[in-house]
Amino acid sequence: MKKLLKLLSPFAPDHSGAVSALFELGGLLVVCDAGGCTGNICGFDEPRYFHAKCALFSAGLRDMDAILGQDERLAGKVAQALEETGMPFAVLIGTPVPAVIATDFSALRKMVEKRASGKRCLAVETKGTALYDEGVSLAFLQLVKTFALERREVTKGRIGVWGATPLDLSFPDASRLVSALVSSGKCGKKEEVFCYGMGAKIPEIEQASRCEKNLVIAPGGLAAAKELFRKFGTPYEVAYPCLPASLKRKMAEWKNRSAGRKEKVLIVHEQFAANAAREELEKDGSPDWEIHTGTFFRFFPEYGRNGDLVFAGEEDFAEKLEKGNYTLLIADEVFHRFLKEDSPAGFIPFTHFAVSGRLEEE
Amino acid sequence: MKEAFFQTARELAERGREHIPDPLRSSGNLVYSSPATLAYNSPGAQGFGVKRAALTLPGSVMLLVSPRCCGRNTSGLNGNGPYGDRMYYLLQDETDIVTGRHLYKIADAVQEICSSRKEKPSAVMICITCTDALLGTDMERVCRKCESLTGIPAVPCYMYALTREGRLPPMVSVRKSVYSLLKPGKRRPDAVNLLGFFSPLQEDCELYEILHKAGVKVIRELSRCGTFAEYEKMAEANFNLVLFPEARYAALDLEKRLNIPFIELTRSYDTEKIAKQYLLLGQAAGFSVDVSSCRAEAEKEISAFRASFGNPSFSVGEWLNADPFELALSLLRYGFPVKEIFGTLGEANFIYVKKIAFLSPETKVYSNLSPSMLLYEERKEDLPDAVLGKDAMYYHADTPGVPWNSEEQPFGFAGTKKLFRTLAEAMEKGRKNP
Repeated sequence: MKKLLKLLSPFAPDHSGAVSALFELGGLLVVCDAGGCTGNICGFDEPRYFHAKCALFSAGLRDMDAILGQDERLAGKVAQALEETGMPFAVLIGTPVPAVIATDFSALRKMVEKRASGKRCLAVETKGTALYDEGVSLAFLQLVKTFALERREVTKGRIGVWGATPLDLSFPDASRLVSALVSSGKCGKKEEVFCYGMGAKIPEIEQASRCEKNLVIAPGGLAAAKELFRKFGTPYEVAYPCLPASLKRKMAEWKNRSAGRKEKVLIVHEQFAANAAREELEKDGSPDWEIHTGTFFRFFPEYGRNGDLVFAGEEDFAEKLEKGNYTLLIADEVFHRFLKEDSPAGFIPFTHFAVSGRLEEE
Repeated sequence: MKEAFFQTARELAERGREHIPDPLRSSGNLVYSSPATLAYNSPGAQGFGVKRAALTLPGSVMLLVSPRCCGRNTSGLNGNGPYGDRMYYLLQDETDIVTGRHLYKIADAVQEICSSRKEKPSAVMICITCTDALLGTDMERVCRKCESLTGIPAVPCYMYALTREGRLPPMVSVRKSVYSLLKPGKRRPDAVNLLGFFSPLQEDCELYEILHKAGVKVIRELSRCGTFAEYEKMAEANFNLVLFPEARYAALDLEKRLNIPFIELTRSYDTEKIAKQYLLLGQAAGFSVDVSSCRAEAEKEISAFRASFGNPSFSVGEWLNADPFELALSLLRYGFPVKEIFGTLGEANFIYVKKIAFLSPETKVYSNLSPSMLLYEERKEDLPDAVLGKDAMYYHADTPGVPWNSEEQPFGFAGTKKLFRTLAEAMEKGRKNP
C-alpha cells in the first residue's frame, strides 16, 4: 500500500522545516497547532532546542477555536506575546488544524500587525502533510521577500549560504558548517560566509544583495537563491561541501576493497547531498561503477542524472532497491533494514536527521 | 524591565479560583515551548503519550492514521526497543483530508499489517488525530470493519490534542481504550486491579502489603501483564483501585460494562494524608488497616534528611510524578520552605493554593506555559537549596535537584520515603561538587 509505513516512521514534516529555517533568527515563532506539533518539532526535529533559547510557541488551539475560527483571539494572543517578550517580529507557522479549517493566514498576519504596533508578522503556510524541505523552502523564500528589499553594493568575497538546517546537515553547530565551507574551498574567509538558518541573522538577510555569490547546499534553499537572482542578479551555485569525514573514509575504503569490481551503488539522501557523495565516489575515477542517487524529497531534474530515483514511499523504495540489484547502499541507518539478511550488498551509513532524527557523530 | 509573570500564593488565594490571571491559565495565552514544557506539548516526548500508552496492551500493534507530522515523534520508539516492530503508519495527504478517502483504506492496511507479521497481534490499536477530530470520523465503525475483515480486535485511540482541556482529554481517553477489550466473566473476590499508570508501581509500595493482608491474593496492573491472556484476567477483579485521576473515566466504564466498582486514592507526599486515605480505603472495602510502621519509616527518612541538611528551601516543578501544588504543600507541612512552584493551575489543584497561602503566603507561583517565561531568570533572593522536577531543574541548572519523573511510579509512604532518600543523595552530591 502506497502510503503505509511498516518499517519506516514518518520523516520530518514541513512545519519542522519552517521552524528549522527560522529558529536562530530571533523572532517569535508561533506554531498554529494544539500543542502536539510543537512538541514534535521541539522534542524530535530541532536539536538546537535543548541548548539555545528560542521564542517558540504553540498557539494552543482548542476544539472551539477550530470550530468557531477564533482568529481575533489568536491574533490578540500573538500581539500580547510580542509585547510581553519584546520580540521584534512574529512568524505564524501552519499545521494540519489551520489547513483543515482553511485559516486565512494572510488576513491573520495583518490582524497581528494591526494589534502589535507595527511589528512585522510573517506567515509560512505549512500544512503538516508535506515534507520538511517544502517548509524550509517556504520559510527562506518568505524571509527573502520580507527582509531582502534593498539593492546594496556587492562586497567581493561575500558568500551567502542557503538551505542550511540541522535537518539536512545532521549537525546543529553553525561554526562546524562554516569551517566545512571554508575548508572545501567554496568560501573564502570565515567572516565572509553568511549561513542563513544557521548563524546569520535578520540584518544579514536585509543585506543579502551584498553577496557576490550564493551557495545552495540543500534543495530547501533553492527558491530563495532563485528569488535573489531574480531580484538582484546574485548568481548561485549548488553544492554540498559538508560530507561527513566518516562517510568519505568509508567510501574510500570501499573503493579500495572493490578494486576493479563493477559496482552498482544507490545513494539515498536529499538530492544535493546525495550528488556530493556521488562526486566524492567518482573523484579519483570509478570507471565501471553505476551510481544512482535516490530521494524521498524534492528532486530537480537539472541537478540529476539519468537513472536517479525519486521514491513515492516505503513500498516504492523497497521495490526499486530490490529490482536495482545494487551492490552498495549508502543511506541513513534506518534504511539498512531494507537489505535482506542474505543480501550480498554492502551498506555505508549516511546520516540524515530529517529521516531518522539522529545526529551525525563526528 | 520585563520579567516572568508570577503571583504569590497569597495573591492567588485572595483572587480565588474563578479569577486566576490569564498568564497562569493555559488557555489565556500562547503556550511557551521550552524544555520545561515539552511534556505538556508532547506527553510522548518523555514518558507515556497516547501511542506508547496504547501499546501497553500486551501483544498489540498500532496503526497511526494521520498526517505525517503526528507520527514524527514515534521515530524514537522505532528500532530495537519493545515498540520497534509494533508501530505502523497510514499517512494522510491533503486529498484524504478533503475527501475522507483514507477511511476506506484503513481496513486494507490493517489486513496487510496482520498478514505481514509472523504472529498475529492480540489487537490493532487504530490511532487518529486532530484532523479526524475535525472531520468527525466515526472510528468505531471503521474498527468494526477492520475486525470483521481480520478477526482481530481493533480499538480506536483518540490522540485529539485539540481536546486536551475538554471533558475527555487524550490521556483520559486512551486509558478507556486500553481496558476496552476486557469482557464480562467470572469474578474473583480476592482479585484487585490497580488502574492509573502505564508502568508499574514501585516494588516496595506498602499498598501491595495492605491489600495482601486484607485477603487479596491477586493484584493486577496493566503494565505487569506479560500476555494478552493475563490482561484478560483483569476482568476477574472484585474492585478497581484508581491511583491517578486520569483513569477515573476508564474505571467508570469498567463499572458500567463489567460491574466492577472502584475506589479512588490520590497520590500524596503528606504522611498524615496518606495514613488517612488508607484508613478510608479499609473502611470502604471492609478491612482493617495498620500503617503505623510504614508511616514511621517514611517519617524517619524525613527526619534523617532534616538532620543532614537542616531545612533546605525548594522550588517545585510540574514535570514530575506528583501534583506540584500537593507536593509543595506537603513540603511546607514538614517545615521546608517552598520558594517557587512551576505549575498549571486548574480546578483540581487550586484547593492546595489556599492551604499553601496560609503556610507560606510569599511562595511564588509561575506557569511554565506563560510567554513571559521566556524572560525567566533566577532571582538571588529566591534561589532554592534544592529543586524537584525536570522543569524546575531546567530553570535552576546549578542547584541540586531530582527530576522525580521515573517510569516506576512512586506511591504512598514508600513514595515519600524514596523521595527524601533520592533528595538526600542529590544534595549530598551537591555538597561534594559545589
